[in-house]
Amino acid sequence: MAGPGACHEDRDIKGAKKDSIYHQIKEFLDKGETLAVATIVSTKGSTPREVGAKMIVTAWGEILGTIGGGCGEADVKREAIEVIQTRRPRTVRVDLLDDISSDSPAVCGGIMNVFIEAWWKQRETEDRG
Amino acid sequence: MESLVDQLIRVQEEGAAGVLATVVEVERNGEVQPGDNCLVRDGKLAGGKIRHARLLDAVLKEAEARLKEEKSKMVSLELPQGGGKIDVFFEVLPSPPKLIVVGCGHIAVPLAKLAKVLDFHVTVLDDRILFANRDRFPDADEVRVGDMAAILKEMSITPSTYIVLITRGHKYDELCLRETIYSPAKYIGMIGSRRRIQACFQRFREEEKIAEEVIQRVYAPIGLDIGTETPEEIALSIMAEIVKVRRGGTAKSLSGK
Repeated sequence: MAGPGACHEDRDIKGAKKDSIYHQIKEFLDKGETLAVATIVSTKGSTPREVGAKMIVTAWGEILGTIGGGCGEADVKREAIEVIQTRRPRTVRVDLLDDISSDSPAVCGGIMNVFIEAWWKQRETEDRG
Repeated sequence: MESLVDQLIRVQEEGAAGVLATVVEVERNGEVQPGDNCLVRDGKLAGGKIRHARLLDAVLKEAEARLKEEKSKMVSLELPQGGGKIDVFFEVLPSPPKLIVVGCGHIAVPLAKLAKVLDFHVTVLDDRILFANRDRFPDADEVRVGDMAAILKEMSITPSTYIVLITRGHKYDELCLRETIYSPAKYIGMIGSRRRIQACFQRFREEEKIAEEVIQRVYAPIGLDIGTETPEEIALSIMAEIVKVRRGGTAKSLSGK
C-alpha cells in the first residue's frame, strides 16, 4: 500500500463492456447452440471493415455483428452454415471486385479473407479428448 | 474448468489485455489443425489448446509484439526443425488506456474529467488529502493519497499507461519522473518551463547516467501548442497530446491552415 494515511478507492472499470461479442457468443453457447464465428483475418485494397471485425452466424441463419454488409456477407453466411454443420473451420476469400451479383452501391473493390469457425459449448473438452 | 469464452470475457471485464491466437492455415505439420487456438494474457498461456510446444513458443513471442502494436494481424510462423508453416491470426483485446495524473492541483481537475469523457481509466494521486479527495475528483476511478513516488513504484504500469506529471513543485515532478522513466508507459509528460526541464534532464544525464534515448521519450514541456491560457485549456492540450501519441496523428489542422 501507499504508506500511512493512504486511501485507496477502486471502482468498477466503467469502460468494461458487458455486451462484447464474447458475451453474445457465451449467451448462445449456454443455450446449447453451435455458432459460426466469421472474422476478417486479412484484407487487400479497399474493404468496408477492418481486420479483426467479426460476424456471428447461428444455425438458423441469424446474423449478429457485421463484416461489411452486402459486400460478400451473403456468401460468408452460406459458408458459415456449412461450418456449423461440419464443425470444420475454413477460410473464405471474398472478392469485392467480383461481386457482380450485387447492385448495392456498397461495392468496395478490395479482397478480404474471412476465417469461419464453429464454437460450441463442449468444444474445448471434446478437442482435448 | 473455465471455458475459453469465459476467459475472454474475464480479460475484458477486468480491464486486462489479451491476445487470442487462432490457427488459420497449416502447411507441413500434422499435429496442428486450423481452429486450434490459445489465449495469451500477461505473456502466459491463459486458455485454449495449442499443445504443440514449438508453435506455442512462437505464438507467445508474436503475441507480445501484437499487443505492443495494439493491432490484430495474421502472421505466418515458420517453425524451426521442419515444423512447417502455420498461419496464425492474432486478435488483440487491448486493455482500456490508463491515465495516471500525478499531482492534484488546478489542472488535474479538468484533466481527470476530460480523460473520463475519452474513456480512460483515471487514477489521480497527491500527498495532500486536501487536494486528492472525492469531492474534487468525483469521476476518477481511483484517488490515492501518499508519497507520490512510492505510489508510482507499486502501481502497475503497462504499454497502455499514460503518465502526466503535474505536481506542485519541480522537485516532486523530477522524483516521480525518475521512478517512471524506465517503465513501459506509452507516454510520460511533465509540466514545466523549458529552462527547468533542461536542468532536470542535465541532472539525469550526469548524475543518473540515463541514456539520451530514454530521456527523449519524455514529453516536456507537456502538451500541444494550442495557445492555452486557462487550466481547462491546458488540460485539453495535454489530452490532445495523449490522443495524438495513442492514435498516431500529426496534430496539424486537417485543412492545412
